[in-house]
Amino acid sequence: MKKKSMWGIIIVVIVVIAAVVIYYATRPPKIVPGIVLGCPLSTAFLYGWDAERAITLAVEEINAAGGVNVAGKKRPFKVEVIDTRDLEPGVPVSEALLVVEKLILGKKADFIIGGPVRSEAALAAMDLLSKYKKVSILTTGVLTPKYHRRVAKEYDKFKYCFRITGEAVWMVTGEIIPCLLDIGKRFGVDRIFIMIQDVSHARGGGGLIAKIMAKKGWHVIGKPEIYPTGTTDFSMGLIKAKKEKAQVILIWMDMPETSILLKQWYDMKIPALPFGSIIAAAEQPGFWKATEGKGEYCLANVVNAGNAPSNATPWTMKFVKAYKKRWNIEPEGYGTSTSYMAPYVLKDAIERAGTLEPDAIIEALEKTDMMGVYGRIRFDPKSHQVIPSVDPEEGAVGTIFQWQAGKRIVVFPKKIAMGEIKLPPWMK
Amino acid sequence: MDILIYGIINSISLALIAIGFALVYGISRLANFAHGALYVVNGFIVWSILNILHINYLLSIILSLIIIGLIGAAIYQFILIRVRGMAISEIIASYAIGLAMLEGFRWGGFKGMTYTLPVFIRGSIEIAGIPVDFQRILLVLIGGLVVLLLWLFTHYNRIGLALRGMAQDERAAMMLGIDSDKMALIAMGLGSILAGLAAVVILPMGNIVVEAGYDKLIMAIAVCIVGGLGSWVGAVIAAFLIGFAQIITVKYIASHFHMVIALLAIIITLVLRPSGLFGRQKELEERV
Repeated sequence: MKKKSMWGIIIVVIVVIAAVVIYYATRPPKIVPGIVLGCPLSTAFLYGWDAERAITLAVEEINAAGGVNVAGKKRPFKVEVIDTRDLEPGVPVSEALLVVEKLILGKKADFIIGGPVRSEAALAAMDLLSKYKKVSILTTGVLTPKYHRRVAKEYDKFKYCFRITGEAVWMVTGEIIPCLLDIGKRFGVDRIFIMIQDVSHARGGGGLIAKIMAKKGWHVIGKPEIYPTGTTDFSMGLIKAKKEKAQVILIWMDMPETSILLKQWYDMKIPALPFGSIIAAAEQPGFWKATEGKGEYCLANVVNAGNAPSNATPWTMKFVKAYKKRWNIEPEGYGTSTSYMAPYVLKDAIERAGTLEPDAIIEALEKTDMMGVYGRIRFDPKSHQVIPSVDPEEGAVGTIFQWQAGKRIVVFPKKIAMGEIKLPPWMK
Repeated sequence: MDILIYGIINSISLALIAIGFALVYGISRLANFAHGALYVVNGFIVWSILNILHINYLLSIILSLIIIGLIGAAIYQFILIRVRGMAISEIIASYAIGLAMLEGFRWGGFKGMTYTLPVFIRGSIEIAGIPVDFQRILLVLIGGLVVLLLWLFTHYNRIGLALRGMAQDERAAMMLGIDSDKMALIAMGLGSILAGLAAVVILPMGNIVVEAGYDKLIMAIAVCIVGGLGSWVGAVIAAFLIGFAQIITVKYIASHFHMVIALLAIIITLVLRPSGLFGRQKELEERV
């Protein structure tokens, strides 16, 4: 009897131990809540899809390295992208606002990064970000200076809004004008013809360039020619440029149809150097093949270093290689390197703040000082605009490159230049 | 001179885009709102044949026109035939088909500016000091040829005559034994081929983007409303009116009013002469 009860006890103990082991072995792992990055992006266009790819790459790298340390707990980033379609012609700003609201309320985004991409939509979204107290880092598209001026003017209301990419005033005065003056000095040219897209940033930027270049002694031909989004014929403008003996054609357009403009420029052999202050089509690595090489000599501003290969910082080529490995293409243009850096900057701020509380994150972001893909990244504490420079040791540097023999050769700023500007043979 | 040269190019480009739309409406009274989508889809078909199957360019174009013609005919046979005669349903159904095709391509990754077709002949010449590339000259020649062939087809070919009969009086044509559905099917196939042909001639000058589908549809509608819905002769004349008006506007007023011209032309036509220049649809009501 004793022996039997002994066996019974042993069996019961074994069963209990087995049950406990099975319970612990099979119970679902404790879910670590992710930090949701809501990304409102116009994904059908370069400035949207390159941002999505770059954010995804950065988040994959961060998560693979253990995630974000929030007060001692490691938490992964989770990316939620919704297409705002705000770069598409005819899509109202309200569509982008609905997307931002859906990301906040539906997807429970902790932070908004990326867009909205169109300036008009981003300006309108500022009130939403303020209403829901969501910290946002703009990484692509929006160039209007109104964005950071609004933050500076009404800091308490718009303190949630940061921009890690360039803005039109610096881009014009700190990069485009010096580059144009350099071209003028080197090649003895001083007649400029301006072709812009009918959108806020292009009208503002084009007008500003016209004004400054006139003051600098250049001959600005007529008023800037304004083209609606989606234009597919630029022949009359190009003929005018030729007739008026333009030597530089300044283009400020973010629509893909700019490749048509450059094809026409080549076919008509217009003796003027095309200079893309913003020229979405020419920024991309596939541009050369798409235009059968007709876009050679076109200059393109990609706003930040790292959007084309260069050695701006030790991280630049590391990023270029990682992007190429992940997406089988080089960084594609404006918005790529900045969108890649935003999750890293946010991670750094969260880890320093030790919380996801907006006010603490804002304070931490204001104190950001890190060497990134496109130079030293710091935000102006009053306007939350990334501090620009022509020296990567001092601030965020831009990039202007020229298409030469199928390659994007960085020609400006001097500190990161990989080659010299060349003129098309029919200009000599 | 630049207005004359680029006015002609712009006008023929508009005529090429609109003529297929006008033909389908003229014969079957069906407003094919998938017309712009068929234009873009054919661009992607040629691109795919060229870059994936690596077939000769000319053969790729011929093959694509056959495919797009079959797609157009299939759209009629399997979808639009069920709503034929119900104008609003036809518009909704055809627009939905176009939307599905365009957004399907976008969803499938066909976005950006890297989708392009090679030009037929590289290079350019100067005509009276105005530079013009060979592709645009070919566009004018092909556009003229298409109009001529269409005229010959509808005047000397049995099917073409039947199509014309349908366009003139559907009931009388049916009494003479012409099958209305069969003719509508042929018209839809032919209209799709014309949209495809416009794409292969125009797209090498630019790139293939989904958004073009919506733009081209608006342009085709504008041309057809001004010319008179259903009249392809009217469409050609309206294309010249709008084409030249656009070029003159760009030259003398401002380039950003370029797109406004087409929409303005629609409004003016609807206010002054709703049936358009050569349309007979509401002619009697207008006289009354």
